[in-house]
Amino acid sequence: MTRRDKTVLFLAGPPVDGASQGRLGGLDLVVTGTDAAASFVMLDDFGGTVRSAGQLLIETGDALILIDPDQGVITQPAARSGNFIADLQAGPVRDALHRVSPLRSLLRIGTGTISGRDLSLTDDEGKTRARARLMSLVPAGPGAALTVATLQGLRGYDDALVRLRDHLTAGAAPVAAPAQVLFPDKPPHVSKPAIPLAEDRSAWATATDIIAAHLDVARRNEAGIIADHDTEFLHHHRVALRKVRSVVSLFKGVYSDDQTQALKQATADLMAPTGRLRDLDVSLLARDDYFAMLPPSLHPGLDLMFAMFGTERRRAQRSMATRLTGARYDNAMSDLQALVDGPDGPRKGPLADRPFGPYARRLIRKRYRKVCRIARAIRDDTADDQVHALRIACKKLRYLIEFVAPLLPPGEIKPVLKPLKRLQDNLGLFNDYSVQQGALRDFMQAHEPIGHRQDLVLAQSIGALIAVLHDRQAEQRARITASFARFDSPDVRARFRTVFPKGASG
Amino acid sequence: MKIVACYSNKGGVGKTAASVNLAYAFAGGGARVLLCDLDPQGAAGFYFRVKPSQKLENEAFFEDDRQVAKAIRGSDFENLDILPANLSFRDFDVFLSRMKNSRSRLKKALKAVGDDYDVVVLDCPPNLSTLSENVLKAADLIVVPVIPTTLSERTFEQLLDFVGGPDAKDTTARDRIVGFFSMVQRSKLLHADTMARMREAHPDRMLQAVLPFSTDVERMGVNRAPVLDFAPDRPSSQAYRQIHAELTDRLRTG
Repeated sequence: MTRRDKTVLFLAGPPVDGASQGRLGGLDLVVTGTDAAASFVMLDDFGGTVRSAGQLLIETGDALILIDPDQGVITQPAARSGNFIADLQAGPVRDALHRVSPLRSLLRIGTGTISGRDLSLTDDEGKTRARARLMSLVPAGPGAALTVATLQGLRGYDDALVRLRDHLTAGAAPVAAPAQVLFPDKPPHVSKPAIPLAEDRSAWATATDIIAAHLDVARRNEAGIIADHDTEFLHHHRVALRKVRSVVSLFKGVYSDDQTQALKQATADLMAPTGRLRDLDVSLLARDDYFAMLPPSLHPGLDLMFAMFGTERRRAQRSMATRLTGARYDNAMSDLQALVDGPDGPRKGPLADRPFGPYARRLIRKRYRKVCRIARAIRDDTADDQVHALRIACKKLRYLIEFVAPLLPPGEIKPVLKPLKRLQDNLGLFNDYSVQQGALRDFMQAHEPIGHRQDLVLAQSIGALIAVLHDRQAEQRARITASFARFDSPDVRARFRTVFPKGASG
Repeated sequence: MKIVACYSNKGGVGKTAASVNLAYAFAGGGARVLLCDLDPQGAAGFYFRVKPSQKLENEAFFEDDRQVAKAIRGSDFENLDILPANLSFRDFDVFLSRMKNSRSRLKKALKAVGDDYDVVVLDCPPNLSTLSENVLKAADLIVVPVIPTTLSERTFEQLLDFVGGPDAKDTTARDRIVGFFSMVQRSKLLHADTMARMREAHPDRMLQAVLPFSTDVERMGVNRAPVLDFAPDRPSSQAYRQIHAELTDRLRTG
């Protein structure tokens, strides 16, 4: 047989013995082989990329198996140097896992027992006309068992394949979400929670809901930061807290002044200790980029620098883990959650009872005007402070639009966000290069001496790096006027007016 | 798509066994293979337990791509499909004689299904007919099993004369003919002498691999599978593997 598309069926329960043998319309169904039961581990990243694609990633013995509803069952050796996709051996499973972010680690979602059996449907000449491999997965936890049936048709014998499929599906119900059946207590983490919004719900209630949802996201990422699975846990934890802070500071008048101040202080206190670890993560992730910026003769200095970053990161991670497991952090978080979830909620401000829709649209219009005002004043010789101000204004506008997005038809938000994102990319790079230069200068001044010769090697490389980053920053700076001109097109302006119209109450 | 024909104008030399095992070996090497049984006796299909094609009758083989595609059956082995024969294939010459371009009909028919395959192996009936001319025209390699006896040597020379002689319509076919010694009995002096003589006469044409006489090949009829499948470590299997390797090499170097 030539390779034909394989059909994968997810069926509820383990295979029934009687279903594997017998006569099927003049053909014999026989078991041609069985695998002894073995233990398995189901893997996925925190966000459930593999599961969301309808796939199951399973490690058993020395095999890594990906069950894909379209591609069938793909196998490669499980041996790997780490838990990132890049750490897997080159092979078909790694290729098929291209959706998993290179920054995300594969985690153990659950364990259980796997067993296999091969079926063949043969005719009176003993010729195989269709095959099936049944893999039974029995989870160790509260989930239910299921069977993965991989059907393989042989060219010219389509009837037999249909017969075999009908036979297998007649005995067991199909399963739509296999991972959920196996491990119902381990749903994928949602980093962008869907918050149900209503046009006329009060701004206060909506803001409080958004804060509660993001506090929840921040908390769910704690365990991953402590275990140090990957750097995305801290990143998402920080993004969630930043969103909380944005709601508090952008939704003016929703909370009382003292409440706003207290919430700002609380989020600032939660975020401050995370900054250094994140900076180190970002630097270490830029490693390949930095090496590519400099000629090989300057690489020894980078090796020294990254070794020092690595040491500092280990220390910073340990202290972060200690902090997150401590009572002080837990109390601060719990107090904040109790405040937003509590019966009274945060203290209300003068605009608390405004309907959210018109209230938010008004904020967006105001913020949009501000972005345009700052940007239109920027010339090639304008001070960098103004560029930073524009970046912050754009960021606030972006957050506001994203907060209000669930109220708008999905097609309407994209044409507005896309040009904004492009402008932000430009501003973001400009800022990153500036921050990186600052960080390198700080590092040069603050690092412990490592011996005269080594210090010199280090200084040369860092100096060269700063020079390259400075050039790159200048390149980004030169693009800003043009980027803004694209954003400030008549088309985008018109779209802002239609998507965020001035209503009677807005 | 490369076409490899197992062909001899003499019967009983091991063409079908060679087709079956070579098709299996090509598939085992990762190529997508179609074994096309052109012999109305349908032995190649029988070895793979595939029933004769019922709907591919009369001219359909040369005139109806869809019927050819529909008659192809998956074997029990990865990458290997079979186009089984039926008794109406015995009249191929009659159909071909009625058609225009009667010598290139086979190539055309195979091209139509060839996109699915890297290698098409032809198991040919033993004669010198219009169908044979089609085979000689279509194949990238014409693999001829030769039992090292006087009679086989003579038929081999006849074949070379037929394709290379003054009446030949396609003289390039001669360059595409390769032979291998089949059913060799080392103990027979005649076999050794014939092999030595033929190797000298055709130094590049004869493959190095030698297929020994073996009951393993006969047991294919009982096991209904290639020797390479049910007795992979036996000398005949080793010989088929070597023949496959030499052919692969020749296909690569053109």
